Amino acid sequence: MNCNEAGMLVERYADGESDALQRRSIEQHLRGCATCAAKHQDLLALRARIGAEVPYFTATPALRERVRALLANAQDTAPARPRPRRDRWSWLTGGFVAGCAATLLAWSIGTTVIAWRTNEGVAVEAVAMHVRATLNNHLVQVASSDQHTVKPWLSARLDYSPPVQDLASEGFPLTGGRVDMLNKQRVATLVYTHRLHTIDVFVSPESAPAPLTLRTVRGFNVVHATGSGMDWIAVSDVNADELTEFVQRLARQSATP
Amino acid sequence: MSEHARFEELVLPHLDAGYNLARWLTRDVHDAEDVVQDACMRALKYVGTLRDGAARAWFLTIVRHAFYDWCGRNRPAELVKDDGSAIDMAADHSSAGPELAALRNAESRLLAEAVGELPLVFREVLVLRELEELSYKEIARIADIPVGTVMSRLARARALLRRSPLLHSIRGRTSGGEQ
Repeated sequence: MNCNEAGMLVERYADGESDALQRRSIEQHLRGCATCAAKHQDLLALRARIGAEVPYFTATPALRERVRALLANAQDTAPARPRPRRDRWSWLTGGFVAGCAATLLAWSIGTTVIAWRTNEGVAVEAVAMHVRATLNNHLVQVASSDQHTVKPWLSARLDYSPPVQDLASEGFPLTGGRVDMLNKQRVATLVYTHRLHTIDVFVSPESAPAPLTLRTVRGFNVVHATGSGMDWIAVSDVNADELTEFVQRLARQSATP
Repeated sequence: MSEHARFEELVLPHLDAGYNLARWLTRDVHDAEDVVQDACMRALKYVGTLRDGAARAWFLTIVRHAFYDWCGRNRPAELVKDDGSAIDMAADHSSAGPELAALRNAESRLLAEAVGELPLVFREVLVLRELEELSYKEIARIADIPVGTVMSRLARARALLRRSPLLHSIRGRTSGGEQ
C-alpha cells in the first residue's frame, strides 16, 4: 500500500469503518510511514476535540412545549385527517380496517368532547343537589328499600317511568327516592347507600348515546352512563372505581326486566 | 391514537437529536425550533410507516427534509452557494500537523464556530458523524447520497476545519507569540 491508497483509508480507519482486511493493511502501512501515521494522529486529535468542544444542543423547553401542544392538538384531529399518499398500499391491506377504526375513534372522541362540555354544567348542578340534600337531611321523599314502592311513586310525579332496582345483595341497598330539578328538567333521584356513604343517582330519559364519563367536582365523584334508554348520573364520595361499576351495573341490569 | 402513541414512544426520545441537527443546520435557536416542529408534524403523519429500530435515523431524515424546505423558503441563497464545488480545490490539499498543536491553546468556542461556518453539505455530514456518531451507511441514507460521497464530504469537512480562517487566525497569533 502506498500513501495515495492510504489517504482515504486512514479516514475510514479513524472512523472505525474499515473491515478486518483493510484494518490489517492500513495498520501495517502506518507502522512504516511517519507521514501517514501523523495524519492519522491528527485525525484522532481533531475528532477528540470536536467531541469535547463542539456542543450538542438539546431541545429547548420552548420546543418541548410546542411539541406537546402539537400532540395535544393532533389527538383531537389526527384520526380524521386523510391518510398520507405513501400509505396507499397498506390502506389496501390492513389500512382499511385502521381507517374505519380511526373514523369510529374520531367519532367517539368527538362525542366525548361534546358530552363532556354539555354535561359539565349538569355535573356541577348534580353535586350541588347532592350536597344540599345531604346537608338538609332531605335525602328521600319516599323512603323504601322496595323498588315496587319507589318506582310507582316516581312515575306518578314524572312524565316517564324510571327503572328502579335494589342492589342490596351487591352492597348497595336502595334507601328511597325523590324528585329533583336537574338541567331544567324534573328528574328521578334514586338514593342508595354503600357502607356509610350516600349515593344519589339521577335518572332521566337518554338524550343522546354518550360514553361513560367520570369527573370529580368539589371532591365528589360524578359518573355519567347511558343504558336502558336512560341517562344515569351518580354522585357520591364513594371511590371512583366502585361508583363506576355500580352505575354500569344499574344501567345494564335495568335493561333486563 | 395509536399513531399518537407510536410517536411518543418511538420519535419523542430522539427530539434532542432532531433539535441538535436542526440547530447546527440553521445555526439559530428559533429557526431550529420551527424546523423541528415542522418535522414533528410530518413524523406524526407518517409514523405509521416507521419500522421499529430505525427511529432516530428516520426522524433525522425528516428533520433534514424539513430543514431544506425551510431553507428554500427562507435562505435560498445558502442552497445555491453550498453545492460545494467552489471549495473542493481549497479543501483537497489539506496539510495537517502544526495547526493542531496550536489549536489546543485556542478557545474551544472557535472550533464550534468553525463547524458552524462549514458549507451546508459538509456541515450536515460532519454533525451526523461526530455529534450523532452515525455510521457512514446511516448518514448515506439520511442525506440520500452514496457512501463514497459521505466519505469524501466528511474528509473535506475535516480538511476545511483544519484550514478554517477562524482557526488560522489563532494559529497565526499563537505561532507569532512563539517566535
